[in-house]
Amino acid sequence: MSAEVRELRRQIREWRRGRATRSLVEAIGDAYVAIFSALVIGAMAGNVLINLRVVTADACTSTDCADARGALGWLLGLLGVAAVLAVARLLGPVLAAPAVGSWLLATPLDRVALLRGRLLGTAAVAAVAGALPAAVGGLLAGFPVAAVAWSAVLAALLCVLLVAAAARAQSTAGATIRVLARALGVLLWAGLAAVAAGLAPGSLDSPAPAGLALAAAVVAVAAAVAVVGALRALPRIPRRRLTDGGALLPGLSGALSGLDLTLLFDILLARHWRVHSSVRVVRGRGAGPTALVWREVVRLRRNATLLALLAGALVLPYVAVPLGIGHVLVVVVTLTGFVFGVGLFAGLRVLSRTPSLLRCFPQPASAVRLACLCVPAGVLVLWGLATAPALHAAVGGAWTDALLVALASGVTVAVAAVRWTSSRPPDYRLPLITSPMGAVPTSLYGSVLRGFDVLLLGTIPLLAAPTEVGAAWSVGLCGAVLTFLVSRR
Amino acid sequence: MSAPLLRVRGLTKTFGEVVVLDGVDLDVAPGSAVALRGRNGAGKSTLLRCATGAEEASAGTVELDGIDVDERSVHVRRSVAIVTDDLDFFPDLSVIEHLDLLARAHGVDDAEALVDAVLEDVRLVDQAAQLPGTLSSGQRRRLALASAFVRPRRLLVLDEPEARLDRAGLGWLVERLRREKADGLGILLASHDPDLVAAVADDVLDLDA
Repeated sequence: MSAEVRELRRQIREWRRGRATRSLVEAIGDAYVAIFSALVIGAMAGNVLINLRVVTADACTSTDCADARGALGWLLGLLGVAAVLAVARLLGPVLAAPAVGSWLLATPLDRVALLRGRLLGTAAVAAVAGALPAAVGGLLAGFPVAAVAWSAVLAALLCVLLVAAAARAQSTAGATIRVLARALGVLLWAGLAAVAAGLAPGSLDSPAPAGLALAAAVVAVAAAVAVVGALRALPRIPRRRLTDGGALLPGLSGALSGLDLTLLFDILLARHWRVHSSVRVVRGRGAGPTALVWREVVRLRRNATLLALLAGALVLPYVAVPLGIGHVLVVVVTLTGFVFGVGLFAGLRVLSRTPSLLRCFPQPASAVRLACLCVPAGVLVLWGLATAPALHAAVGGAWTDALLVALASGVTVAVAAVRWTSSRPPDYRLPLITSPMGAVPTSLYGSVLRGFDVLLLGTIPLLAAPTEVGAAWSVGLCGAVLTFLVSRR
Repeated sequence: MSAPLLRVRGLTKTFGEVVVLDGVDLDVAPGSAVALRGRNGAGKSTLLRCATGAEEASAGTVELDGIDVDERSVHVRRSVAIVTDDLDFFPDLSVIEHLDLLARAHGVDDAEALVDAVLEDVRLVDQAAQLPGTLSSGQRRRLALASAFVRPRRLLVLDEPEARLDRAGLGWLVERLRREKADGLGILLASHDPDLVAAVADDVLDLDA
């Protein structure tokens, strides 16, 4: 480390310590509730996982189920690795706060000395984040304990390798890492599709620890080489690419700490389109509300990735069929549709958070909202209908019932998405209640449940009676909620 | 003088103990412009929000064509074009698509021709395909102004329309607002620019007084 950087760090440390109002021990003492809660919740989660392993082993007796269970353990690990790479690409992975960008990166200081710690820290966090899903997957799939441990190590090392590769890619304009991320996604989907089609190979639930250890050793060497390469590439990363993630992170963490998931969505949406800069212009059609409907069609065509993800997610309900979960498949359908479909309502979201934009339109607010939601809601209802064969296979009964339940699931998902996207931010004018985080408005905690409450409302009748009666109740309740959401002032 | 388009009487707005507006009266007639002047925090933007129904007055009345103003009413939305600082845009629609959507939503007959003309007027032709998130602050201001000119309107409400405009843009704005007045529109604007106020306003309401 160069003398200037060391001196600078010492100075910054002195400033921080000079302004600290409490010691580390005092801070830990103040946070004892949070630490204690984390320990208790961690212990509970561990206990639940161990119990689930026993329960699924007892319940999963057929060959199909055992094969699917073994494959899903691997796929959960792969999902963890793919998610780590996606987040790493979103944030950098090497990032610097805008202040660091302005004050330090603009000077002739040695950037490697400034950024080395950040890269290694990010790699360490990525390793933990990648190891956890792999361990959980292995545990639930019934892997031997040694295999669970080695699969977690393997996933952790893969994450370090990918983060290092992504850091190196920050210094170039190449598309390799983007292609790799997509390839991981396609591999994951292909694995899920194979499970759904009953093509998952047997014996995946008992991998040899020695084989996993050998693979981990090979990946460890590759990861070490990649980290060295990434460290060498640090001086070549443009300042803008370093501060992009640094500017994004405070917004995301602020939204999360405020439990405002819709704000998180807004930030990611704005970021996504800022990267695109310009689009191929598509002229409008129609007049009045029809113009808004046509814009939603254009918006869907422009968001082809979201549509592809939604279509790809259709495999999940079919994956759950061999697991023999019966009626509970309805929950898988509605949750999957909600998670992958909510992004289609970006137009409604923007209008909900920006009353000044809504005021620009001459129609009543309810008509504008209706025009904005009909196209994505239609897509989600069609998506729901496409799950009918899975529901028929899982629940049994007449095809008509399966179709109606699928239709009701699609309606539930669409209304839940409308509820989530049209939610208002927490109202700080309401009476505040004291909490360990300070004073918070009463509507803060409830805001996290928005959308999921409607999912519950629409799903319960389907769980109770996966027939035309349950479907009618579900659609009726969701229709009432939608009427309220659209017509409220 | 013709009957006022916008009529404000005894408008009072308080935030807790703080009185921001105290019994304000003003009229905006068709073909005339009223400017609000005052230091930061004098209540100009609050008055504009109350005048368009976006903010509820503590006391007093605001009428458009003799009807109480409510921002949710279709009559207000059709008649009043508002350009304020909090106007945001769809992140995935380009400049021209925003204007096209607004023109069509308002039922403009030849939307494409009008949009092209307004784009030319606000000098955003080169940015037509650009997304709002990548525009400069001055260009975003021009887009906000264009969104008011691309739709039918009888009253223009502008909050510091000169903000972030360059000298050429300011000259264009003065000319455009004069044309709007000549076409019979009422204009209510808040501004810190004495040249703009002098060139456009028929009446000035000083909120510092």
